[in-house]
This record gives sequence, structure tokens and C-alpha cells, in this order.
Amino acid sequence: MTIRTTLLVVFLLALAAAPFVLPEYYVTLLNYIGLGSLATLGIVLLTGIGGLTSFGQAAFVGIGAYATAYATTAWGFSPWFALPLGLFAAAACALAIGAVTLRLSGHYLPLSTIAWSLSLYYLVGNLPVLGAHDGITGLPAVSLFGVVLDDARSFSFLIWIFVLLGLLSVHNLLGSRAGRAIRCLRGRSTMAEAFGVDTTRLKVAIFVHAALLAAASGWLYAHLVRFVNPTPFGLNVGIEYLFMAVVGGVGQLAGAVVGAGVMVVLRDVLQDVAARVLGVSGAIEIVAYGVLIIVLLQNARAGIVPFVTRRLPAPEPLKVPDDAPSLPMRDRPARGETVLVADKVVRRFGGLVAVNEVSFTLKAGEILGVIGPNGAGKSTLFNLLSGVLPLTGGAISVLGRAANGLTSRAIARLGLARTFQHVQLRGDMSVLENVALGAHMRSRKGILSAILRLDRKEEGALLAEALRQLERVGLADSRNVPAGSLALGQQRIVEIARALASDPVVLLLDEPAAGLRYHEKQALAALLDSLRAEGMSILIVEHDMDFVMNLVDRLVVMEFGRPIASGVPGAVQNDPAVLEAYLGGAV
Amino acid sequence: MNSIIALLLIQDGLTMGAVYALLALVLVMVFSVTRVILVAQGELVSYGALTMASLQAGHLPGTALIAVAGGVIAAAMELWAYARGPRSRTHLVAAALYVLVPLAVFGLVAALAPQGSGAFVRVLLTLLIVVPLGPILYRVAFQPLASAPVLVLLIVAVALHFVLTGLGLIAFGAEGVRVAPLIDGMLRFGPYFLSAQALFTIAITLALIAALFVFFGSTLSGKALRATAFNEVGARLVGISTTGSGLLAFSLAALIGTVSGILIGSFATIYYDTGFIIGLKGFVAAILGGLGSYPLAAFGAVLVGLLESGSSFFASAFKDVLVFALIIPILMWRSFSAGHAEEEEE
Amino acid sequence: MKTIVGIVCAVLLGTSAAKAEIVIGAVLSLTGPAASLGIPAKSTIDLLPRQIGDETVRYVVLDDASDPSAAVRAARKLVDEHKVDAIIGPSVTPTSLALLEVLGPSKTPGISLAGSGIIASPVEGNKRWSFKLAAGEDIQAGRVFDHLAKTGISSVAFIGFNDSFGDSFIGTFKKEAAARNVPVLADERYGRTDTSVTAQVLKIISANPGAVIIGASGTPGVMPVLELRKLGYGGAIYINQGMANSDVLRVGGAALEGAFLPTPPALVAEQLPDANPVKAVATEYVQAYEKVHGPNSRSLFGATAQDAFLLIRHGAEQALKSAKPGTAEFRTAVRDAMENARELIGTEAVFNLTPTDHNGTDRRASVIVRVDGGKWVYVPVDD
Repeated sequence: MTIRTTLLVVFLLALAAAPFVLPEYYVTLLNYIGLGSLATLGIVLLTGIGGLTSFGQAAFVGIGAYATAYATTAWGFSPWFALPLGLFAAAACALAIGAVTLRLSGHYLPLSTIAWSLSLYYLVGNLPVLGAHDGITGLPAVSLFGVVLDDARSFSFLIWIFVLLGLLSVHNLLGSRAGRAIRCLRGRSTMAEAFGVDTTRLKVAIFVHAALLAAASGWLYAHLVRFVNPTPFGLNVGIEYLFMAVVGGVGQLAGAVVGAGVMVVLRDVLQDVAARVLGVSGAIEIVAYGVLIIVLLQNARAGIVPFVTRRLPAPEPLKVPDDAPSLPMRDRPARGETVLVADKVVRRFGGLVAVNEVSFTLKAGEILGVIGPNGAGKSTLFNLLSGVLPLTGGAISVLGRAANGLTSRAIARLGLARTFQHVQLRGDMSVLENVALGAHMRSRKGILSAILRLDRKEEGALLAEALRQLERVGLADSRNVPAGSLALGQQRIVEIARALASDPVVLLLDEPAAGLRYHEKQALAALLDSLRAEGMSILIVEHDMDFVMNLVDRLVVMEFGRPIASGVPGAVQNDPAVLEAYLGGAV
Repeated sequence: MNSIIALLLIQDGLTMGAVYALLALVLVMVFSVTRVILVAQGELVSYGALTMASLQAGHLPGTALIAVAGGVIAAAMELWAYARGPRSRTHLVAAALYVLVPLAVFGLVAALAPQGSGAFVRVLLTLLIVVPLGPILYRVAFQPLASAPVLVLLIVAVALHFVLTGLGLIAFGAEGVRVAPLIDGMLRFGPYFLSAQALFTIAITLALIAALFVFFGSTLSGKALRATAFNEVGARLVGISTTGSGLLAFSLAALIGTVSGILIGSFATIYYDTGFIIGLKGFVAAILGGLGSYPLAAFGAVLVGLLESGSSFFASAFKDVLVFALIIPILMWRSFSAGHAEEEEE
Repeated sequence: MKTIVGIVCAVLLGTSAAKAEIVIGAVLSLTGPAASLGIPAKSTIDLLPRQIGDETVRYVVLDDASDPSAAVRAARKLVDEHKVDAIIGPSVTPTSLALLEVLGPSKTPGISLAGSGIIASPVEGNKRWSFKLAAGEDIQAGRVFDHLAKTGISSVAFIGFNDSFGDSFIGTFKKEAAARNVPVLADERYGRTDTSVTAQVLKIISANPGAVIIGASGTPGVMPVLELRKLGYGGAIYINQGMANSDVLRVGGAALEGAFLPTPPALVAEQLPDANPVKAVATEYVQAYEKVHGPNSRSLFGATAQDAFLLIRHGAEQALKSAKPGTAEFRTAVRDAMENARELIGTEAVFNLTPTDHNGTDRRASVIVRVDGGKWVYVPVDD
């Protein structure tokens, strides 16, 4: 048994024993830790992993709590019947709010969560049906198999079963096709879109998932305290959940539990100390609490869990099944068939014409190079081809189908795969998982199957495909290390493997040789050469002349957005316009 | 509703908007220089008002002691840095300043406070007490975290807000204070009247904005701050220190916060925990300006002020529901007109 | 990890339950929005006697940050860890309501310091263990509307907190207004830490009511008064007992002059006619309090805490005859004795509790006071 597994087993055993051995009050604390963990788990998924900062988690806890409070007191529903009602209400609100606000960029999103959670808070406080500021009293206790859970001990089992189920759901989700895409939402969404990931849909999905976790916490809270009013669902509590997540470790599932545990216990210990030493509790605890958090984050800014796990041996690597079925492959065009056409492509930024009437065709099984000095418009052209930027004029077609106005996701579906000038790997994910993301489009299992682990067969196929591509590019041995630990040259190769995993017809490479050492360039050229031999069509945008000249079949040279020459390398090399462009400044 | 009421509502909205604008400007500045969303800026405002009121009552303000304590911690951190790292004299000088300045101010205030000085002297003393808190807070809380992610800095700022609120409660108690207005009276035009204090507040705000404009445009330190905001690494390469810029930004934040506090305290009752809600409104305004644009942030602040005053008149119980719900469409408009989002930090 | 911390803490704490003594717990808002209510109550508890009969009394005061879930946690700690025999507090209505679920199941009598009637009525279920001593808002409303009638004012407007306090206070006063056919011309709300009430006040002034009644507590209640006077409102202003402290006078200054308030007699203990039954007890309390906390520092939130103690002492003295502190029998006996208290004289009222009335105050719990020259001045009214 590894240390990690041992820790987990010890934790579970301790948890199971705790309600029997701890004094009543500590069971109460344990319950509050559980409630906090559940809501904070949503923050970990949403903020730590998905990169969406939300101050509104407490509002969803409130929705769950109020739904059950109202349904059980006004309609006399059983709490068990009110639970799905509350979950449904929270999911519906999350869908509605998410559809509107998750499209917001940058800092607008966190602010919108403040705005709607405050609105909701004051609205509830002024609705007489919901008891206004005084809230709703006299909620019934929850019964389970005829046992009434009306004391802290019995209720703690219920709470922690929910917490463990919540942890399992997020854990299962993250170790799946959708989970890899979710992990790329934070700072890697352009890349994810380029591999066919619908990032907006995934954002809404994790927002709903987080809301469901919060609503479950709210339901439990309501039946534990058996009283609800708006105070525990205000903005300051929403901030507190963020607090717990950051202190525990915002990118880690265990961070939710550790964060909630530390915060609840810390407050309680401080209250005790203050009461014992100074004879009173109050302001001084808040000061001490704030100071301790600052000191903690100054010494472990990633939170407590990473601070500890760094000192543990690395987790078990993912197992790739030997007998995995292979993923579906697309039909490949015959060698020499036209796969990509750019026809008088134009892109303007205001008055600046970045790309001006560039045309070329790419045939199956050849390598086409687009070169030019810095500022020639190569990167803009690349973004136009891959659908990151819309065209101002002209047309692009892929395999005979018009690609104008398509999103990068749709273009990826047509059979285009790309790499990035600035490497876009998820550095904390293993090389294997990074490559597996490339095959996203070739598989279908969604979030629900991931949570219920109904996706294992397909998941095996995905990992097997990723491994196959890593073997193809010669990096299979590095599959289990974090991608961020590789050298830059190897990271570029991993990007190519990821692109290959999408089973592309056309491979777009954005300055693949930038920053590589000589022998790395040689290895890269050899790889591309062998891909061409297998029938792959490749378009390289590059400014390294030497690298391109010996590799490509044909060349397009750009300057100031215009194509100034095209043809086979030998001819282009002696073109006067090209010589002028490359050497003109130096003569 | 008639034109007299309308005028008063607009005046009220503009006055509050002016105060929010000062907060928003500070938040934009501090964020662009240090990437800290300074939640605790509201506390600097309430400290300004509470300190001023305390001086008016002839007491020794607790903030003077808070500054001394903070200074000692900051100095200890400097000495620790000296002991561990390169034995640079800067650390020693800084340590001395952190201890001596608040201590000198404390002595001065202790001597002057019971005598009951004039309004001008009190404003000066208030500034002397609260402004050093700016660099002290930066040194103690944020300097060790200079390269941390925005989220961690935000959480530290929230923790700092807890600390300052708690200290405020201990130092000033739970009940509120009013600052005696520096200018009193009403200007009458027929049936219409304007409060001189409101006009004074708006005027000071405009003057401060103009001063900031000159500072950023024409002085060396101002340009250094702008350079750091634009490109931190680049600024460091040309010899502008991140720490220096951070300290300067926080000093300015404390200065503007204190002035806002003295202003707002004369027409609103200020409590130890007022800071959060006004800081929040300033934050809203700052974000409406995209956390990057000063004029848009100021405009956003005025908008928040007017929204608030209007919805208070028509449906006061639902005021905050209305203000914050109305912000969402504005946010969406801003977000989409801001165009494609930059890739956020990892 | 948590478990280990828990066990360590449990061992550290385990020593306290052994001694035989009466333990009185308090859950108060010492921080957060209601801190100005909780702090004077805490100052009063510091001055309470350490002895009831022959038993020593120990007090444990915990903060709830004005938050119901923290209040429940604090109460659980008092009940489970400190084995308290009674709980004083909490300070506000929502926290008091949240505590009902701790008081009932643990059979611990609790005496709330908050104002709203629903905390302890109707007396059934968990509320069998809940008491509330502040005079009912209906009693205050009765005093105010009597006074309005006497001074010939025929319309009112309200401005108060957009929270539980404001809802409950203004709600009760509106009922009284409806019963007496006094038109309510405006009902405006604001937040405790709001920095402007100009808009709300403008609306009130444009409705031109005969009197404005403030439904807010502490210094935040002064803001509409200042604004009303600044914008030229000339009618009568009624503040309330939640604002009866010296900070309010300090912040309000000249604007408060002439304002009336219905208040428990403790505020003006020394000025009461000798015939007033609470004069002696109230005077003794405020003088003891001000001896420690300075002149004019008296607070009615503290007085309510004092009365809570007086009631618990009454209950404990009876209960000691039949049971030992720290047991459920003792707590039940305390509760039973408290709910049968007859003519118990406190600082704020003369209490007559019954098993169906856990408040027990009457009109003697409220007098009318006017602000005059920066002081509280008793206004004699005939009963």
C-alpha cells in the first residue's frame, strides 16, 4: 500500500469512528466541517480546477436550504422529497445564471457572482413567504430507514456520506475525458477549443456541478440546524468558502476537506483560547484568525495540501489497458488530393491589413512552409486557418468544405489539428493525459458517465491511443511525468503527439522549431519527414529558413501581410524579392 | 417627485459616486501595480474617519498604536531579511523607518490630542497616523507574496480586511462616529439648495483625480508606477523595483483612503465595519472600468452612486437587489464590448 | 488529523465539568453587525455576582458574530462542553430563533436579549425553553401612539433597518397604527452601514407625516434623524429603545433634540418617581455599571442581560432545593421556577411569567423619554 492509500484509509477509518468516540461538541464541529467541505468542493472544481472565481457559492447553499425549508414546512413534504427539489432548483438557477454570466471574461465573472448573490440575499430577506430576515423555523428532522437523525452523532453519518459521494463524483469526473478538458479551462481554453472542446458548455456544466454540491450542503445544513435565515448564505460566507479552498489548496480535492477542517477548528480553538486567556471571545479572534491565514499563505501559497503532498512519493501512474479497443479513424484522402485551400485570404485590424490576399493549396502527403520575417503576418494567417480569428475577406476550405466563419472547434472537426507557438500544455498533467486530450473529438462519453464510471472502456481506448501517438513520436518513456517537467523541445514534440491523437488530415505547426537546439531540430525534422511518408499533410509556419528549406516540398514567403513568392525551396531561395525581404535590411 | 427632489437625489448620487470613485481609482491603481485586489481599502477609509473623529473628541486614536505595532512587525521582517539574505543597508534603513515614523507620530499625537487643536491640524495628524499604515501593510502582508497568483493575493487581502476590522472594533468600539464637517451650510438658489459639504466632497475628488493625473503623467515615481503596471518584468529590467512600486502604490492608497474617510465621515456615520460595503461599491465601479481604466472606473462609480440614490427613493427595501441586479446587464455589455479576453494566468 | 485535534482538545477541556457549580453560558454578538448590542451585555455579565445561594457561579461568554450558524455552534459548545445550566442571549432575533433547536433538545433554558415576540411565543415545542425579556414591541407601540394622540399628531412615517429588527419593529408599529386608524404615509428601509439615506428621507418629507418613527438600533439609527433635520423636516421624531445609549446622543447632537422614545425605565432610573416599582433595582444596576464603565455609559442591552440574570437567579434558587446543577432535572426546575415568577422586579420591567407567557412584561416596562440638552429626560405620563 502506498503512503497516499494508507493516508486515505486512515482518514476513512477515523471518520467512521469519530462519531462514536468524540465528545458531542466535536461531532458538531465535524458536521460543520462536512458542510463546509461539500460547498468548498464546488469551489475547488469551479475555481481551482476550472479557473472560474465565484463568490456566489453560498447563494447556492441558500437555495438548497430554502427549498427544503419551504417545501417541508409549507407543503409538509418529506425532506427526502425536498432534496431533489432543492437540487433541481439550484441546477436550474445555475443553468440560467451560468448561461448569462459564464460568457463574461476576466474580472467581470467574479464581480457578476458578487452581484447576483447579493441581489438574491437581499431579495430573500424581503420576501415574506420565505420568512423575510427572520427566516423559517421548525424544519423536520431527516429519517433514514426509520431512524430519526435528530442529533449531531447520527446526522454526522449522513453529512459525511454526502461529502464522500461529492468527493467521489468530482474525482471520477476529473479522471475522465471531460475532466481533462475541464482541467484545461484555466488558461488553456483556446487550446481546448482547438481540439474540439466546447469550453462554454463545460463551464456551465462545472458551474451546475458546483451548485449541486452547494445545494446538497444547504439541504444538510437546513435539517441539521432546522432553521434557515439569509445570514449564512450572504456574500461574506461565499468569500469564506473561497477562503477554505485557498487555504486547503484550491487545485486539490483534499484541499476542500482540509481547508474546511482547518478553518472550523482554527476558529474554535481561537475562541477557546480567547475565552480562557482573556475571558471573552470576539474581535481578538478575528484578528488572530486573519493573521494566521496571512502567515500560512506566505509560507505555503498553494495551500496546505500541496505543501504536504510535495513531500510524499508521486501518485501511481495511470494504467493503460493492453486490450483497449481502438478509436474510430477518419477516411484519409489519397496522396496528392487537395486538402487545404486558402483563396485570397484577407484580415484587417482597423486600418492595418495584417494578411493581404494570401492564396495557396496544400495537397495530401506534402509539407508546405509559410515563412517570412517577424511581423509578416504569419501568426495572423495561422490564426485565420485554425479559426481563432474570423476572416475579413477571401475563403478557406478544408477537404473541399468551406471553413469560412467556422469556430476553431468546428474546423478541428473537419480534420485540422494544430500546435502552438507558445507551448500550450497543462504542465501539472502527465504527458499521457495531455496527449489524450487530443483525441477528445474521437470519443463521446460525457460528464454523467464519467461520474458514474460508465466510461472506462472508452477511457482505456483514449489512453491507449495517446500512448500509441507518444510511441510514434518517441516519447513513450516520458508518459507519466508532468508535462511541465520536460524540456522545451520535448514539449513541442508532445504538442505534435497531441495533435496526431486527433487523427488529423492536416497538421498545422506554428513555429515548431522556435527555441530548439540543433539536435532537437534535427529530430523534429526527422519526425515530420516520417509523418509525410505516412501520408500526413503538414503546414509549417516558421521563420527559421534553414530548418524549413531542407524539409518542405513547397514554400510561401510573406512580407507585410502579402505573399511575395512561392514555389519549391530552391527557386524561392534565389528569388530577388525574398532576398530583399530577408537580407535587405542588412545590406 | 419634483425637480427639487430630483436635484437632491442627483446631488446625493454624485456625492456618494465621488467617494466610490476615489476608492475605485485606488483599487485600479493598486491592482495594476501589484495585482492585489485591495479589499482592505475600505478599512483605510473608515480608519481615516474614525481617527479624525477620535481626535475631534480629544482622544488618542487607537490607530496610532496599530501603526506602531504594524511598524514593529514590518521592521522585524526587514531585519530578518537582512540577517538571512544579502546584508543590504536598505533593510536597516527601512527597519528604522518602519519603527521610528509611527513612533514619532504616536508621540506627536499623544502630545497634541488632548489639547484640542484646529481642524487643519487634526486633518494633518489623521494623515500622519493612517498613511504610514499603507506601506506597513504592503510590507507585512503582500511583499513576501509578490509573485503569487491573483486569487491568493485576494484571499490575503480578505484576511487583512478581517484583521483591520477586528482591530478597528477593539480600538474604536462598535458604535459609529461623525466627523464635524470642514465646511457646513447650504447654498440656496430659489427653491433649490445644495449642500456645501457635498460640493466640497466633489471638488476634492476632482482635485485628487487631477493630482493623480499629473502624478502619473509628469513625475518620475508616477511614470515608474505606470511602467510597473504595464509590464512588471520589463520595469524590473530597467531598474524599477517591484517592491518600491508596491510601497508607493500602497502609500497613495492610504493617502486617498484617509482623505475619503475624512470627507465621507462628515455626511455619513462611519463604523468599524463600514469599510467593506463602500469598498465593495468601489470594487464594482473599478471592475466596470475593467480594473484597468481610470476614467471608466470613475464613471462607473458615479453610475453606482446614482443607481443607489435612485433605487433608494423608489424602493428602499429592494435597493441592493436593484443596484446589484442592474449591474449584471452593464457587466455583460462591458464584457462583450471589451472583446476577446486575454488568456488568464495559469 | 481533525480527529486527533478533536481528541487533544477534548482532553484539554475535559477538566471543567467535574466541579459542582452553576454555569451560565452566554451567546452574544460581540462582532459583526450586531456588535453594539452584544458588547454592553458582555460588560454587564462581567459585573454579575459570582454566587447564587451557596453555589458559585461561572460564566462562559461566546461570540456568535451575529451569525445563526455560529450561534448554534457556540450554544452546542456551551451545552456539550461546559454543561451550562442556562444560556443568556443571543443578541438578535435570527440567532435567537436558530438557538431554539439547541435549547429544546438539550433541555436548557435560554433567555434571549433580542426584541421580537416570536422568539418565545407561542410557548410550545422548543419554545418551552425559550424566554425573551425585552418589553414587547406592542407595549412600546402602545406608549408611542398614546403619546402621539395626546400631542395631536395624526399621521406617521417609518424608516428602519432592512433586516430582522426593522421588519419586526415596524411591522408591530404598523399593526398598532392600523388598529388606531393612524395613516402610515411612508415605510422606508436602509442598511445598517449605508452611507446615505438622503433618498429615503426625501420620500418621507415629500409625504409630510406628522411624526417619523425610527426602526433602527444604535448609532446607525441616528443617520435618518440627521438627514431629516438637515433637509428641513419640522415634525416630531420618535426613536426607540434600541438607540438609547450615549453614543447615539454624541453622534446625533443637536438633531436629536426634542426626539421622543419609548424605553424601559432603566434608562432614566434616577429620574423615575419614587412610586415606580423598578426604580430601586434599576438605579442600583445603572450606578454599579457606570461606576465601572464611566458616566452615562448605561445601555439597555446591558440592562436586559441584568434582568436575564435576575430571572435565572430566581429560577436557580428554587431549583437548588430539588436538584444539583449540571443535571437535566436542575435545568428543568430552573425553567419551571422561571415561568412561574410573580412580580419579579427587574431593571426594565416587573415580570409576571406563566407557562404560556415567557415574556411577562406589561406597560410598566416602557416609559416615554425626551432628548433634552443632550440628555435623556423622563416625560411623566398618566397611566
